[in-house]
Amino acid sequence: MENENLNKNIYLRQFNESNRIAYSKVFVSNASDYNFQLLDNAYSNAGKIYAKLKIAIETNKCQSEQCAVELARLKILEEAPNVSLDFISSVIAELSVTDEPNFDLNNDYRYTVANSLMNGKPGYSKTDGYNAYLDLMPDGSQQMVFNGPAFNAPLIINSSALSSLESANTSLIASTPDINSEMLKLLTEVGVFAANAVNENGELNASAKITEEYVMKNTDGTIDYEIIDIGGGKGRNVFKYDMDKIEKKVAPFINAEVAGLMSSEQDAVAAWNVYISKGTSVEENDQMTQDANAANSSWSYELDLPLQQDKKVLFETKYKEYFMNNYLKQFITNQMPTVKEDAVVFDLAEAKKAKAQKFLADNNLN
Amino acid sequence: MVGAIIGGIGSVAGSIFSGLAARKAMKDAEKEKRRLKSKLANLEANRQEIINPYEGIQDLSSMISNPFANLSIATGAAEMQIEEADISLANTLDTMRATGASAGGATALAQAALKSKKGVSASIEAQEKANEDKRARGQQFMEQRAVAEAERVQNADVSGREFVYSERERREQQQLDRTASLIGMAETARAQATADQTSAISGGIGNLTSLAGSIFG
Repeated sequence: MENENLNKNIYLRQFNESNRIAYSKVFVSNASDYNFQLLDNAYSNAGKIYAKLKIAIETNKCQSEQCAVELARLKILEEAPNVSLDFISSVIAELSVTDEPNFDLNNDYRYTVANSLMNGKPGYSKTDGYNAYLDLMPDGSQQMVFNGPAFNAPLIINSSALSSLESANTSLIASTPDINSEMLKLLTEVGVFAANAVNENGELNASAKITEEYVMKNTDGTIDYEIIDIGGGKGRNVFKYDMDKIEKKVAPFINAEVAGLMSSEQDAVAAWNVYISKGTSVEENDQMTQDANAANSSWSYELDLPLQQDKKVLFETKYKEYFMNNYLKQFITNQMPTVKEDAVVFDLAEAKKAKAQKFLADNNLN
Repeated sequence: MVGAIIGGIGSVAGSIFSGLAARKAMKDAEKEKRRLKSKLANLEANRQEIINPYEGIQDLSSMISNPFANLSIATGAAEMQIEEADISLANTLDTMRATGASAGGATALAQAALKSKKGVSASIEAQEKANEDKRARGQQFMEQRAVAEAERVQNADVSGREFVYSERERREQQQLDRTASLIGMAETARAQATADQTSAISGGIGNLTSLAGSIFG
């Protein structure tokens, strides 16, 4: 199934980042009108209505009993500017998520367009066919309406709905968690590094190594190195790690991290779509490697929330894989021995023979 | 540009945008606090149960037996001795009869043969007894070692489990403490962001007053 949000968001991002519009002769040669004047338009009749209500109340010419309706409407009008300020601020803050570098392109693309409009990006002016309104609703709520060529239908955001979402710690648009910083923090928490491998900023030192507790050993207690071919008939030792032991050790901490992420399922979906599903690295996402993002395996905000248990389990499994492959792997691959004698380069054939001989001797196979 | 989009008097748009960072910071801090709380709850829920390090200890008395209980009396050798003496006596008597020897010589011979066999029998019995004692002592030694080994293994098991528990407890507690401390920091950040936002809104109120004045004045 074609993912409309993904395709349109990719197009919009490329359009905004490509500077292409600077080469549009039509655009450059015409004035761009950004005078959406949200507040002016919204309050254009408010003064008259306010005056009528005030006069009706003061002259006791209300249509409702004891001017209840008129007083209520007056109160709404008096509070309206404050609501407008908060609402517009809230909408702009929500829309700004679409500008984040790791924004999940599976979010509703209309928010990306609305954000471009609110920030006066080239190509989203009145001249380009876009418009935005702030409406004061009779119930005291307000709504912002966006329309224009990129919208199939007007995008409407209501202030009381938005406020209610915010109270429930829910966002209009999912913000993708900063997986890189979370994973780097997680590395220091999983307990496979020595305590002195973590610096005062809570980050791993450049020289951090996994403790010897997780290094594979022979039955006689000596380290069971893996021999790697470095070319020219030469080889050298590298540590082999007990992956079962490491995985058992890190699992509870990863589970706790996932539980934290799941406190906002929409953020978890964003993390899934951008990074976890296909193991996309932060660098790949930064480079907009489109194939690397979830695409067909992405989860839909509309259809997949709340997340079912099977998806949560899958998320946990893939999150663990992501951590192991993209972050822990560098500490278990080609790690040189700490003992100087074991770190020397040697003749590969002889070393392999000696290792085989030791295996035979250790297992009484001679 | 922003003023044109939002409208109103210019400073209103300015106050909206000045409060944006604080609003976002507050939201992020709230989200972080929520995330950390869930993480903390998970860590607490999955903490290892407190173990009794002595739970696995078994009563080892069943392993102790009396190694002398099965000591046998060496009657077999005596019975064999008697049979052999009888046969020997019978054979000697047959020979004496055939050679015409006197009755007194036969009796003496029979007594000598019997005495000799009894001596051999006593020697065999003593050897068997000595061997039996050795086996008993060996068995006793072996059982003492077995019990000592079992005790050693159990002690090691208890010590190991105590060590594993205390290590895990220490590390998990560290993690719990750290997460709890981060929650505190997130709360502080949220409070600061709220204050910043309030300040931004307060700054905007003056502008709003102007706006309201221009609308409703």
